[in-house]
Amino acid sequence: MMNRLMCCLLASVAVLTAASAASAQTFRYPEDTRPTSLLPFFAEDMSAVRMVELIFDSLVVINKRGDVEGELATSWEVDADRMGIRFVLRENVKWHDGQPFTAKDVVFTIQAAQDRKTIFNAKSKYAFIRQVSAEGDYAVHFAFDRPINEPERRFLFKVIPQHGFGGTAIKRTDKFNRSPIGTGPYRVRKYSLRSVELEANPDYWSPAKIPTVMMQHTPDKSAQVNLLQYSGGKAGVQAVIFLPPKNIPLFENSDSVILEPYHTVSWWYMAYNHKSGALKDPVVREAIALAINREELLEAHLGRGDILSGPFTESSPFYNFQVEPRTPDIERAKQILADAGYKMKGDSLRKGRVKLDFKFVMDKELASNQALFLGIQAQLKKIGIVVRPQYVDHARYREQVFSSQKFDLTLNVWSFEEVEDVYPLFHSEGVINFIGYSNPEVDTLLATAKATRDYKKYKEYMKQLHATLNKDLPYFFLWSLDVYSGISKRVKNVFIQPYYYFTSFHAWEMAP
Amino acid sequence: MTRASLLLIAALRRTAGGLLLLVGASFVIYITIRSAPGDAIDAISPMGTPPEVKAKLMAEFGLDRDPITGYVAWLARSAVGDFGESLVFAPGATVMDVGLPAFERTLALAALALAACLVLAVLGALLLGRPHPRQQVITGPLYFLTAAPSFVVAVLFAQATNWFVHTYVEQGGYETPPWYPIPIYSESWMPYLFAGFVLVAGDGLFMDFLNAVRAELQGLRSAQFIAAVRAKGARTVGHIARNMVVPLVSGYAARLPLVLGGVVIVEYIFTLDGAGYLLLEAARERDFPIVVGLSVLFTATIIVVNLLADIVRALVDPREVARGG
Repeated sequence: MMNRLMCCLLASVAVLTAASAASAQTFRYPEDTRPTSLLPFFAEDMSAVRMVELIFDSLVVINKRGDVEGELATSWEVDADRMGIRFVLRENVKWHDGQPFTAKDVVFTIQAAQDRKTIFNAKSKYAFIRQVSAEGDYAVHFAFDRPINEPERRFLFKVIPQHGFGGTAIKRTDKFNRSPIGTGPYRVRKYSLRSVELEANPDYWSPAKIPTVMMQHTPDKSAQVNLLQYSGGKAGVQAVIFLPPKNIPLFENSDSVILEPYHTVSWWYMAYNHKSGALKDPVVREAIALAINREELLEAHLGRGDILSGPFTESSPFYNFQVEPRTPDIERAKQILADAGYKMKGDSLRKGRVKLDFKFVMDKELASNQALFLGIQAQLKKIGIVVRPQYVDHARYREQVFSSQKFDLTLNVWSFEEVEDVYPLFHSEGVINFIGYSNPEVDTLLATAKATRDYKKYKEYMKQLHATLNKDLPYFFLWSLDVYSGISKRVKNVFIQPYYYFTSFHAWEMAP
Repeated sequence: MTRASLLLIAALRRTAGGLLLLVGASFVIYITIRSAPGDAIDAISPMGTPPEVKAKLMAEFGLDRDPITGYVAWLARSAVGDFGESLVFAPGATVMDVGLPAFERTLALAALALAACLVLAVLGALLLGRPHPRQQVITGPLYFLTAAPSFVVAVLFAQATNWFVHTYVEQGGYETPPWYPIPIYSESWMPYLFAGFVLVAGDGLFMDFLNAVRAELQGLRSAQFIAAVRAKGARTVGHIARNMVVPLVSGYAARLPLVLGGVVIVEYIFTLDGAGYLLLEAARERDFPIVVGLSVLFTATIIVVNLLADIVRALVDPREVARGG
């Protein structure tokens, strides 16, 4: 009798342990926004980019040391004239539905991306490919429209299966976006309203160590921090992608969570609308730049970071360290405005009919937007400039600021995949020059840099550009943030790829 | 005319009225959402997209028609149950495929929470009996505790629960429960229970219901016909119960819109897979077919529930029909 009871007890303990072990092997993480599409072309928000990284493979990836490493390609050879490249593909790779992966899929991906009816953000990234041809099942040759240095670095895009689509014209509404078929280390198990569950792909060439991954949309940042903090890394989430700086001290001496810094190529800026009367005047732009104390704002509302003097992060090869960031100087700001003939009238400065009273448009989704605005407003008030806030939601912000340009000042962040390409931002013809900026000197610099084939020269042009932009102030360049992920100490072998995040995830391990 | 035919006529009249109201409401919803600044194209199209490409996308999404023509087309399609396709939230999926399961969950949550509230209110009213100044020891704090908006209760509840559980687990008090911390990450019915509790406890719903039930009960107990029943020596319970049905059903139907409104935010806080979450996300992304479809479902539900309440009232109390109910 006693024995039987013991057996029952032991059995139930075993079942319980097994159940908890199974759940323990799920890597859970929260995201601020939902991935809108799991079809790589349309994976445009960062949460989609990260998830797509787990489901799909590219020909090559950038590894820990920043070098190019083969993923779907095993080796490559650049043509002697640098006008093309030939990749040898990995054999015996299967799509998640069991079909074999071949060179045809790579060709299809390029054709789909270049199809005029496929409309997506990153289309220009495929423009340099003039022709693509399969050489048998396991080799592909790409021909370019011009010679390119280190062309393999441009093959980070995800490969999609030819058999998953009816043709090369791919729409956003394709069913594939919710039931994607990739070759990556994970495949979709369940797609629900706010969460996506992935399971390890057993056929992957380097099978993932963690069997299940679960992403859940958790819009509230403090809820994310709770999940990491209260769970003690056992029941809640195993990672928070971006920890708000004010929460970092919570984990500084934590037994269960480690702070993992990683470097994103993104910087904050305050944009001036150059089409709005008063801001055309370089003196006003300069005075605003002198009045704003960036260090104070950064420390009070966002945490640690680098104050910038130009459109690059400090780790960028193009950052010009000889250009010092402006030191705030209220007196000088007042002085130059007075010299230029601006006089105090009512609550703001005026010169003739020009009034220094600006509409400051803020995206509600930007971190600390209200606190930052109030800080800026107070600092500008000291020199007699009035700014009035308008907080709008994300969709409206894009319409109002980027499309119809109804703003005087705005604050935002640019993020880049690898290195900054600022041509579209500051060239007068640039596609995302939403500030109406036009400076012949800058245009010439950007055009010459674009045309050059010598990387060293390109770097020099960019440094020159840095200096010019710092002086002319199309934007007031603010800062780049130190970014930390909070990751459970149970997770080992962590390497965070700065942009795609999960590039090496298949090698991550998790202790039970 | 017989009572049945009167009832039928009243029901038909109310249904027709309800449908008209629904068409009117859907028109207002459609036009409002279409006129909101920013649209799905702004939410998804890359910066610097040339205008002709934007125009193509607009046409693909059916946003190129003016709102009135768009509404007429929408009404014609939705009359046969086709609410269109999602644009941004789940591109390509039909609004019904995405929205209906979520809506069912939300409706079940709201309806059950309100039902629980009703049962508690009746129990409370029976327990408390006649109003007495000394009862303020109980009702006073209850007023205070249930006065906060449901989203405030939800946030406080989640934080307090997390803190308590955390403290206990830290001290080795007990094993980490599977629903902890809130919002949770596993499939479980516990968060729905929490959300239900929050809905009952927030927005002053419980105290409002309790007071209504008490007043009604009090009125009935001192009614002349009850006195007559008592004088005859018969039991009054059945009479009181029967006469309580009408006010309870009306009270339920009248409070459902409030609870459905509260659910939207509470679901978002507990991150439940419901229509509230879907509605807020879709509105953020300007996925207007989903927003319109769901709003219309919400409105339709309220109209249907009121209709049902009328029918129940008419069945219980024939005077309701005679009044032209």
